[in-house]
Amino acid sequence: MNALLAGLAVLIIGDSHMVTRDYLITTLHDDLTAQGATVDTYGMCGANAGDWVYPTTVSCGRAERHGKTPPVVDYKGGIPTWTVDALIAKHHPNLVVIEMGDTMAGYGQHDFPQGWIYQQVHALTGRVAAQNIPCIWIGPPWGGEGSTYHKTFARVKEMSEFLSTAVAPCRFIDSTVFSKPGDWPTIDGQHLTASGYRTWGKDITESIDQMAPQLARRP
Amino acid sequence: MIAMLRPLRRSLALGFALVLAAGSAGIAAEGRLYPSGPPNGVAYLRFVNMASQEVTVVSPAAKIAVPADDAHRVREFDPVTPGVALKGSVELGGASKPIDVTLAPNEFVTIAITGGADGLTLTVLRDVPSDFNALKSSLALFNLDPACAKADLLAGDNHLAVVSDVAPGALGRRLVNPVDVALSVSCGDPAQGLPAKLGALVAGDRYSVFVAASGSGRQIVAGRDEQASFRP
Repeated sequence: MNALLAGLAVLIIGDSHMVTRDYLITTLHDDLTAQGATVDTYGMCGANAGDWVYPTTVSCGRAERHGKTPPVVDYKGGIPTWTVDALIAKHHPNLVVIEMGDTMAGYGQHDFPQGWIYQQVHALTGRVAAQNIPCIWIGPPWGGEGSTYHKTFARVKEMSEFLSTAVAPCRFIDSTVFSKPGDWPTIDGQHLTASGYRTWGKDITESIDQMAPQLARRP
Repeated sequence: MIAMLRPLRRSLALGFALVLAAGSAGIAAEGRLYPSGPPNGVAYLRFVNMASQEVTVVSPAAKIAVPADDAHRVREFDPVTPGVALKGSVELGGASKPIDVTLAPNEFVTIAITGGADGLTLTVLRDVPSDFNALKSSLALFNLDPACAKADLLAGDNHLAVVSDVAPGALGRRLVNPVDVALSVSCGDPAQGLPAKLGALVAGDRYSVFVAASGSGRQIVAGRDEQASFRP
């Protein structure tokens, strides 16, 4: 239990790393709950940051979890996206945690789409900042090379370095510092094993613990 | 004339498809000039009217008026499909100049329209910025005055150079701390600089300053860049 997180209402949003039962929707959600926070988690598979701002449809499913209830996962495509504005209005969080990066890094593309990523990120952080809610952005883990996702360690590093300067006023958690490239096995080059999600969730929670004293707490 | 136009990597098939699609859609009075392309790896195109009168930009899909007042001269960057020839025309009074430009992925292109004694001129200014940063502000100086051999963007009473030696038809860019400082543009003598009014810079925002000929002098237009959201 962390006295600074106890009683905090935390809203977590993220991409496909949140949309399967054993993923962060379980591990990170449980770890923050164990710190005394009240947690609501939402994941949208394949979503870019802008998809949480401009209503559209999800491409490969979505999931949600509230407090100590189990995750509800719907793998259908074409269902409406959640918007961050609506989720903030519903849950009144004191802290928003955003996990996103893999869907926007342009894996498989020669050029890094910096301008487009910035627009996406800026649109989302702007909505959270407009409500004066502190936020933390979690970057992608190393994953594995050579898969159909075309993820490479070099691009993950480039994406993480870029996000570290692009997500302000959110604070940034660089997931690549938690392991060495290739240390955490994946099932498909992008998504980790259950053990990997346990470790990643624990490492993120420890980082949030360390940041907690600097987070302005909204009454 | 279209200055600084790179060799076109034209796709006849795609261009023909674009024309066909536009033909079936008809010419809208206002709307999106070009399809927005893929969400990731997109390029961005904007028009800036530095002429003294309203101009009309015509594409196969739409027709858009760009006013000549400072609040509306600079349109937002619109996402477009890279690698495809974007065609159309710009009309000013009875004059017309063709648009035929192909953007590279992640490129930000500004088509600046200037008028004068020699008629209507389109200048294509290409930029692949790599300085997007939420902690700083990005300042860009666009030189559209052929008589200004080296344009400088200066800060403060002591004329500290922020962006230097920008040739006609080119742009310079610099990432700066978000501060509230008086900016000016000069073409040689800093003491003769003209004010570029941006107000207090905001972290994460990007700004453009344009210098162009105006009558016997010069005009400065300055403002924050706007980037349209991707729309399928």
